[in-house]
Amino acid sequence: MAEIIIDIEHLSKVYEMGEEQVFALRDVSLQIGNNEYVAIMGPSGSGKSTLMNMLGCLDTPTSGLYTFKGQNVRTMSDDDLAEIRNREIGFVFQTFNLLPRATALKNVELPLVYSGVSADKRRERAEAALDSVGLGDRKEHKPNELSGGQRQRVAIARALVTSPSIILADEPTGNLDTKTGQEIMAVFEQLWLHGKTVVLVTHEEDVARYARRIIRVRDGLVESDTVTT
Amino acid sequence: MIRSSEFAESFRIAVASLRANLLRSVLTTGGVVVGIFIVVLMGWLIRGLDSVWEQTISIIGRDMIYIDKWNWAGGRNWRLAESRKDVTLDQVMALADRMESPEYVIPMTRQWGGSISYGSKSLRTSIVGTDSDYGATPAGSILDGRFFTSVEDQQSSNVAVVGFGTAKTLFPDESAVGKTIKIRDIPYRVVGVIEKRGFLFMDFIDQQVFIPLRSFRAAFGFQGRSFSAAIKAGNERMLDVVRAEAVGTMRVIRNVPPHKEDDFAVNEMEAFDEQAKSIRFWIWVVGIGLTVLAFIVGSIGIMNIMFVSVTERTKEIGIRKALGARRSSILMQFLVESTFLCLFGALIAMPVAQIVVAAIHTIATSVYDFEAASAVSILIPLDLLGIAIFVSIIVGILAGIIPAFRASRLDPVEALRFE
Repeated sequence: MAEIIIDIEHLSKVYEMGEEQVFALRDVSLQIGNNEYVAIMGPSGSGKSTLMNMLGCLDTPTSGLYTFKGQNVRTMSDDDLAEIRNREIGFVFQTFNLLPRATALKNVELPLVYSGVSADKRRERAEAALDSVGLGDRKEHKPNELSGGQRQRVAIARALVTSPSIILADEPTGNLDTKTGQEIMAVFEQLWLHGKTVVLVTHEEDVARYARRIIRVRDGLVESDTVTT
Repeated sequence: MIRSSEFAESFRIAVASLRANLLRSVLTTGGVVVGIFIVVLMGWLIRGLDSVWEQTISIIGRDMIYIDKWNWAGGRNWRLAESRKDVTLDQVMALADRMESPEYVIPMTRQWGGSISYGSKSLRTSIVGTDSDYGATPAGSILDGRFFTSVEDQQSSNVAVVGFGTAKTLFPDESAVGKTIKIRDIPYRVVGVIEKRGFLFMDFIDQQVFIPLRSFRAAFGFQGRSFSAAIKAGNERMLDVVRAEAVGTMRVIRNVPPHKEDDFAVNEMEAFDEQAKSIRFWIWVVGIGLTVLAFIVGSIGIMNIMFVSVTERTKEIGIRKALGARRSSILMQFLVESTFLCLFGALIAMPVAQIVVAAIHTIATSVYDFEAASAVSILIPLDLLGIAIFVSIIVGILAGIIPAFRASRLDPVEALRFE
């Protein structure tokens, strides 16, 4: 296996619902290596969203060990988590989550603002990222002037701009029609072929089929973990 | 650690948000606008008061000491003063004879509310009987004509020197010099007009009419009248020496036993300083009170709108956090925004304050047509604007801190889920 980026051991996440304890994840262990293309699948309520939040360092586990490139995530402070999200993780969301009042370019520049990159460099890198997803001619457009597919491309450019260790996509085609969805999946394919590590979270078999490894989650447990060809 | 790229981003967000919600922002800053307006106006007023006051005092002279029966300041000594024997003209003349340190010792007495008239116009004012030396002091400096002479004093001539205000009232469109006015129905020839010196509560100074002592006696009599000695020390440094000599000499003249207190008052310009200080103080108290009130109302308004802004942008905060914004980044973003709102308020308030200041200045100058008005600036001093900006930054930070803190603590997962 290539260099291990994500290493999860016996990870659990428990939510307190009044008196009751709800296990969103129970004793999950998995590893994701460099340049893997992984789909995390499961029905709603299976815990896949929680798992995705954990992997994305948006949330911390209740117990177990999460090591991201050798760093222990569980003991990190909020600001350490913010920094690791900024440098190492590129998010692509189902609802795109672009800032509505900012242009495509400004949206893509945003992560670089928080890494302290100078304005000139930011612009340069953001333009390159937009070019790479085929939106070189839409830089000054605002999200509401773009189609769904174009918005998701902006979001992918934003995820790429910091050259993160992994791209984490949560139902990236969920708000798109089939054809556009296929186009977006082609973009991820290209990223993977160019050496990126891609983790998809989805409940659609058609989408998961693009990945080279499928991890199925149910009731907070890993049900199966299979490498496809 | 705050990165400059984040600060610039915060600033950009603040500007964009202000533009997006212009009307809301203007309404929100109302309290701050009022607060800044009051701060600037109050500062300007006090500055002007000080400067006009300084001018008045410097015209009259800080080196004047008045030996009187009555204390100028201090109502609590009123009974004590009333029980004193009058200061007689002989005592004042004896003081003038014996004292060596001062420049002048000038006898004065005064008839309050004496009636004077010119043609159909008449008014009641303070008639002062004095001698020609008064004209040699800055307090008696002449604008037009001349002061009366010692010969006129000795001959008990019916000549008068009128204050600037009285001249304005009786002779609005012509020169007072050479006209004949009536004081207690006795005709007096006006020989001179004294320069404008007083302002506001010192206005009465310019209403006075000066006539020679002997002539005063003929008009009003000396019976039951107390005199005062106006002593001009020459300069401020001589004040202590002259005061000591005046008190010592006057005690001898009035036979005050060594163990007893002075049975006369020593009045100096400082008494007026006290008055100026207390006016200054009350402007501050009222001004600060109103300012604090305005800023409390203002910061509640700003705080409220910032809470609204945080709630409206929960999703945005979630996105920013997911992309790597730290707590301090979000905190700063909202602090910059609230501070920017306050500065925006200051920006509205300052031109308004400037217009009001210019209007007051113009009106005051035309009403008083007084040189002292020129001592008050028509423009708001720059340092006051600096203070206003500083205060608005502080208010912005104070009003924004709680909403900004709340925003910075939002959980990214929850915030991203917010619609």
